[in-house]
Amino acid sequence: MSWNKVAVVGAGLIKFGELFEQSYEQMAAGAFGAVLGAVDKGIDRTAIDAVIVATQRGSLWGQEGIGGNTVPTAIGLAGVPCTRVENACPSGSDAFRIGAMVVASGVHDVVLVIGVEKMRDKSTQEGLLARAAAGHPLYNRGETAPVLFAPFATRHMHEFGTTPEMLASVAVKNHHNGCLDPYAHFQNEITVEQVLSSPAVCSPLRLLDCCPQTDGAAAVVLTTAERAHEFTDKPVYVAGFGVATDHPYLHEKSTYVGLPATTLAADRAFAMAGVGAPDMDMAEVHDCFTITEILDIEDLGFVEKGKGGPASLEGETALDGRIPVNPSGGLLAKGHPIGATGIAQLTECWWQLREEAEGRQVAVRNGFALQHNVGGRGSGVSVVNILTRNP
Amino acid sequence: MKPVLVLGVGSAAPSLRLSASEVGTAWGGGGGRAAVAVCDADEDTLTLAWRAAVGALGAAGVDAGAVGGLWWGTTRPPFAEGPSHAFLAAALGCGPGTEGALTSGSPHAGMEALAAAWDAVAAGHVETALVVASDAVVPGLGTAAESSTGAGAAALVLRAPADAGNGTAGAARLSGRVTRSLPVLDRYRPDAGAATEDVYDGRLFREEVYLPLLAEAAQAVAAGGPAVTAWAASDPDGRLAGALARRLGAPLASAPVQAALGDTGAASPLLGLIEALAGGDTAGANGTGARLVGAVGYGGGRASAVTVEVSRPVPGARPVADLGPGRAAGYVEVLRARGQLEPLAEPIPMGVPPGGAAFVRGNVEMLALLGARCGACGTISTPPSIHPTCTGCGGSQLEVVPLARTGRVQTFVVNQTMPPPFQAPLPLVVVDLDDGARLMVQGSPVDAAELAVGDEVALSLYRYALERGVPVYGYKALRTGRTGDAGGGRSAEEVAR
Repeated sequence: MSWNKVAVVGAGLIKFGELFEQSYEQMAAGAFGAVLGAVDKGIDRTAIDAVIVATQRGSLWGQEGIGGNTVPTAIGLAGVPCTRVENACPSGSDAFRIGAMVVASGVHDVVLVIGVEKMRDKSTQEGLLARAAAGHPLYNRGETAPVLFAPFATRHMHEFGTTPEMLASVAVKNHHNGCLDPYAHFQNEITVEQVLSSPAVCSPLRLLDCCPQTDGAAAVVLTTAERAHEFTDKPVYVAGFGVATDHPYLHEKSTYVGLPATTLAADRAFAMAGVGAPDMDMAEVHDCFTITEILDIEDLGFVEKGKGGPASLEGETALDGRIPVNPSGGLLAKGHPIGATGIAQLTECWWQLREEAEGRQVAVRNGFALQHNVGGRGSGVSVVNILTRNP
Repeated sequence: MKPVLVLGVGSAAPSLRLSASEVGTAWGGGGGRAAVAVCDADEDTLTLAWRAAVGALGAAGVDAGAVGGLWWGTTRPPFAEGPSHAFLAAALGCGPGTEGALTSGSPHAGMEALAAAWDAVAAGHVETALVVASDAVVPGLGTAAESSTGAGAAALVLRAPADAGNGTAGAARLSGRVTRSLPVLDRYRPDAGAATEDVYDGRLFREEVYLPLLAEAAQAVAAGGPAVTAWAASDPDGRLAGALARRLGAPLASAPVQAALGDTGAASPLLGLIEALAGGDTAGANGTGARLVGAVGYGGGRASAVTVEVSRPVPGARPVADLGPGRAAGYVEVLRARGQLEPLAEPIPMGVPPGGAAFVRGNVEMLALLGARCGACGTISTPPSIHPTCTGCGGSQLEVVPLARTGRVQTFVVNQTMPPPFQAPLPLVVVDLDDGARLMVQGSPVDAAELAVGDEVALSLYRYALERGVPVYGYKALRTGRTGDAGGGRSAEEVAR
């Protein structure tokens, strides 16, 4: 493309979890501190030309008036240009894409992309479950977050013979990876049996098929490839990205064994990067539920449609597997603070490509990593970003 | 009295049954095997009325759009003051110009609805009238009425007799009507009261009110004509109607309804009438001519008696046994279903206030189950208000059409984790309707364990929830059968009734 090549010169996050003791603003400051500390050659905060902030909910859930001005003042950047991005579950990854386009455009040289989300200031009843009373005033009554994905599990099982054990194997793998990630919400191993005996939440999904409600913040610093070496000798580059949309209501889906927005977004990202799924060394994908990761690895082209269950069960997506998926622990173990999720996934990709992921480091052969989110009503929006360490 | 024709009838019962022994266990004392019908949490007088009316219209072969007026009698309209009639009319698919009225105030409301519809047809104001009587009286906790108060609905389609030579005779016709009233206080409910107060003195009510008033109305309506061959009558405690029939000297046809459902309030005399119409001794088999059936309804100091000349089996008239045995429920379940036992947990307020603009835009399409058919590609997008363009091709030549009521399960979930007012387990079902449209609707908890991809389902109107104190209605997909499994599930006809 004719735009400026964009580099990631710093990435960092705070430990995810139920951060009752931290405010939205304190989490943002923590992530900003983490990303400044991650820039190899150091960076002065005054070098930041613009801020893109990703927050899907308000800092106090229900007060949706949080705008672009909340974060800069909280992190000591008052006066700096800032825009808030809200694009459902891919809010963080879309903020990253937009930040990259800002740098590529030449308007701003050094851009901070920061995702911050307070999920646990509201109880579960008032939080995700309140979806049951959202949408068209009379349509889809009783629809909670798992309802957006469980119908795909039902159909996937019906068409491909996918089993509860296959779903469970995704949770077991990601919890294992989370034990190796000091930033993960959950730091405990689980077994297939534990998943299968956990309470039914939204059949066929059980409690351990679902990601937790997690507070968190993550940030990256983007700049042009030309200026990257002012900040680091190991920059990671933005190779490509794609966004796609789909119908918002479940009854409008063209398929119940895949999420077409994911495939469309990935096709665009791969085309932009000039690579394909087999070139990826690892992927951080949207595993809000176990079935989602199975759909993702099929829709992204890592495995054939219908084979996601067996591939997961057989370890193809493990740290030492053919295509390591969610080495960070994923949404299932690391957590899903919505606005921060995509940026935290990109931080994991940044570490993996720099081979700094310690006990969960995967083999880097081709130098490419893929990050993916899908979400919104009916999984109606997906974002895929591809990073590379190749100059 | 100008006679009018009865083209068809329909009836409905709610899904729960409360046995007297359950009540006895709860409060101590007696019991017995008798049971009454009770609305489940997703049923009320509107959903019962809808089912009975859909059945009657189908039996009569009358399209809802041809109904000139809807007369609905119930002591428990879903809104004590509010859009009850408009909601039911819209859900039935009656047009915005539908005439008629909601009658209420006592269990006499069912007979008042019948009388008003009769008069409107006889006067020529409407050609075809739909009469519905439905009730689900809430008795006081621990009162004798708990073991006798039931729920149910009856519907009749009326039309004026055709001009001579037109040929439409009708299977039955309403021929006589008499009303008597007496200013007495028996069963009543004060303003804002939740439970109906029981009669002050059962013996007093029987000897001084019920028997004399109903007998007088019944004898007056039958006077001078052929003998009434069977009676149906309101029966507040389950023993009164038998005594009335003995006094009138003709068999009581409504006893099976009372035994199966309990006192169905405003619906009681009309459900009893349908039971009489469904009787096996209908004339025609032996060619001896018409039967004459009488129905007497009582409530609030008023008694009305009607006679119906029956010349052949009335379409839709089925004995109460055909409505099925229902599901035996425990006392606590019944209290919860009636709203007499509520969790302290604060319900999650619905996203859009019930009086808000989104409801104004979105209510009719949900009640009447409408879709938007694309003139270019034929795709049906649902619901219309949120689909200004076709979901198939993006076209904007859209025509609003009623959706099919049967289809197959594309996929589903069973939600076990929801805040109040939702109750688990709640299936949510993506249904491929027979007209090619697709919907996502709630399923029935009864089907939760057995539901499977490919199952045949039928859509029926239910109360989704009471939110902010307001009933919210929508369609539920009920399993009617499993692909390749002729024995499984209910028939679409069973679901419809």
